[in-house]
Amino acid sequence: MADNAVEIEGIVKRYGDFTAVDGLSFSIPRGSIYGMLGPNGAGKSTTIRMMMRIMLPDAGRIRVLGSDLAGVDLDRVGYLPEERGLYKKMKVGDLLTFFGQIKGVEKREAQRRARVWLERLGLFDRVLKPVEDLSKGMQQKVQFITTVLHEPELLILDEPFSGLDPVNAVAIKDIILDYHRRGNTIIFSTHQMDQVEKLCDQICLINRGQVLLSGTLQAVKKQYGHNGVALRVVGDASFLQSLPEVASCQDNGNELFLRLHDGADPGRVLDAARERVEVTRFEVAEPSIHDIFIERVSEAS
Amino acid sequence: MKVQHIIRREFLEYVRRRSFIVSTLLVPVLMLVFFVVPVLFAELEPDKTYRVAVVDQTGEIAPGVVAALTDTLSSGRRKYAAEAVPAPGGSYAAERTARVEQLRAGHLDIVIAIPDTVLVGGHAAYITREERNMNVLDRFETVITESVIQQRLAGEGLDYTRVKDLTAGVTLDMQQMTAQGGLEEKSFLSDYGIVFVFTMILYSALLSWGMTISKSIIEEKGSRVIEVLLSAVTPRDLMVGKLVGVGLAGLTQLSVWASMGAVVSLYASMGLVATLSSFHIAPAVFLYLILFFVLGFMLFSSLFMTIGSVCSTEQDAQQLQGLITLPMIVPILCLMLLLQNPNSTLAVVLSLIPMFAPMIMLARIILLQPPLWQILLSVALILGSIYLSITFAARVFRVGILMYGKRPSVREIVRWYRLAG
Repeated sequence: MADNAVEIEGIVKRYGDFTAVDGLSFSIPRGSIYGMLGPNGAGKSTTIRMMMRIMLPDAGRIRVLGSDLAGVDLDRVGYLPEERGLYKKMKVGDLLTFFGQIKGVEKREAQRRARVWLERLGLFDRVLKPVEDLSKGMQQKVQFITTVLHEPELLILDEPFSGLDPVNAVAIKDIILDYHRRGNTIIFSTHQMDQVEKLCDQICLINRGQVLLSGTLQAVKKQYGHNGVALRVVGDASFLQSLPEVASCQDNGNELFLRLHDGADPGRVLDAARERVEVTRFEVAEPSIHDIFIERVSEAS
Repeated sequence: MKVQHIIRREFLEYVRRRSFIVSTLLVPVLMLVFFVVPVLFAELEPDKTYRVAVVDQTGEIAPGVVAALTDTLSSGRRKYAAEAVPAPGGSYAAERTARVEQLRAGHLDIVIAIPDTVLVGGHAAYITREERNMNVLDRFETVITESVIQQRLAGEGLDYTRVKDLTAGVTLDMQQMTAQGGLEEKSFLSDYGIVFVFTMILYSALLSWGMTISKSIIEEKGSRVIEVLLSAVTPRDLMVGKLVGVGLAGLTQLSVWASMGAVVSLYASMGLVATLSSFHIAPAVFLYLILFFVLGFMLFSSLFMTIGSVCSTEQDAQQLQGLITLPMIVPILCLMLLLQNPNSTLAVVLSLIPMFAPMIMLARIILLQPPLWQILLSVALILGSIYLSITFAARVFRVGILMYGKRPSVREIVRWYRLAG
């Protein structure tokens, strides 16, 4: 129990007649990078807001860092909301100090950390500029600093990469990984599957306010993924469809993607192919979270 | 104590604004310009001796005029260097033309032309190039009138000084009974002015700071800062922090105004400038202004804040704000009634209704010291409603600040209130 950063049990949140979160339960182990996936409107942001005590659930129980919602020390949590917002007229340095202070960091320390972070993200020369003078990407970085300035043990990031260009996205990703390495827990919600696959060790998939599946990345792939091979051949490869191991075939032009029956041996497919044509590429394809996501969501609806 | 950081931020946000600094300094200056400067200007006289020729067809009035013009300047020199020009009968027109020529040439500043019809018709001429000073004109009118009356009375065989003494007028000195039963000298006219100015200042300060706080919430909702704030502080801290921070900014502004007003009033009461004596205001009135601003601000701004928290756009907010701004106007509308009888039952009742009390009670205090128990009761009732309105605001605020989209109906707001309970 104690090694869970967040425990959620049967929480429900209704807006009028609409049920945004419908009996959600999952646990987030300490020290993990936890990905909350789901289509738009699945209830991810609402769930996160309830973890942050910004909203109260209509039913169910949430424990964050070992205490009930009412007793959570929010200073130990960092939160990046989906909709970003800063005081536009404030100077960058003053703004960071202010957000540090309301998270319990003493003024001088907050100023010092703000300088370090601005330097790290290449914004140090903007410290005296009003926020509104910064570009959108810079504002995003400043917003990110506000979530980590007080060095929280639990970092909750709602769509952290949306609106970032690739260079900044890498910078933020590196910080997240570095933060994780120091033993902190990170939760992020996203619908960008490639990020999940690169970063997360645990995931849960939410749809229509309910958990469709959850577990470690490996377990989920194993349980819900299918065997498949991708291959490129010289010559006509249509005969491969009729192999006993092959469940279906997808012709992507230069490349073929074969979905195999559960338990089938990809090696036998390779052997069969090499008997008839020249194989220039052969790869045992791991099922992608993207595919699992789409499959499970469309199955559920 | 995280609320102190919110207070500090809000306070600095407003007092650093250029508009705040400008209005804080400019409003008293403008007041001074509008009310005091014209009076002062009339007082100021240039250190200059007027060269005057009094062309007199009757030959009898000019000597009296010249004799009466003994005014001296502050430098000790004579203010008027007047020459009597007797021009009996037919020589009048020629003398008059000659003196006007001298005026044109710059050898004279003023030509007074008195035809002999002045003794029956009452008209004389004041001819000048540029001297349009009302005091100078008044002065000549007075001395010529006196001189003419003197001549008319002499024609009837009457003694001027005797008649003047016998027809001296009577002045009524206004006195008003205070709450303690004593008597106090009052000038009703200046009371009206002071009440009007003070009530308007209080009204506009309460209205503009209330609108400011409502707007600030809507902006924070719009820029989504609110969610970041709520991940660090409780809605209650946020609300209290805003209320106190913005309130302190308003208080700063009003204190600057009040202390400037008090200085002018003190200056006036020392009698340094005679024409300013009617601006004398008891120092306690300035303290009451600040007291009622603080009370009124807490009462109205917590409601303005509630409105800001439930609306997503300022247009939405404007409609709901009417619910507060309409009752705020009532005291202004009742002002005339109040001026005529500040102690009527209606006035007393109005000054005890919390919505109207800040402005009505302030006006009553300026007009006459109401019994202390009424002031205390009124303050207590306002404090009670502040408690209620803040409790109401806190509950609605908690739900409202995270609601976006369509403006909720009053019924929905009430539902949120119950929900948060």
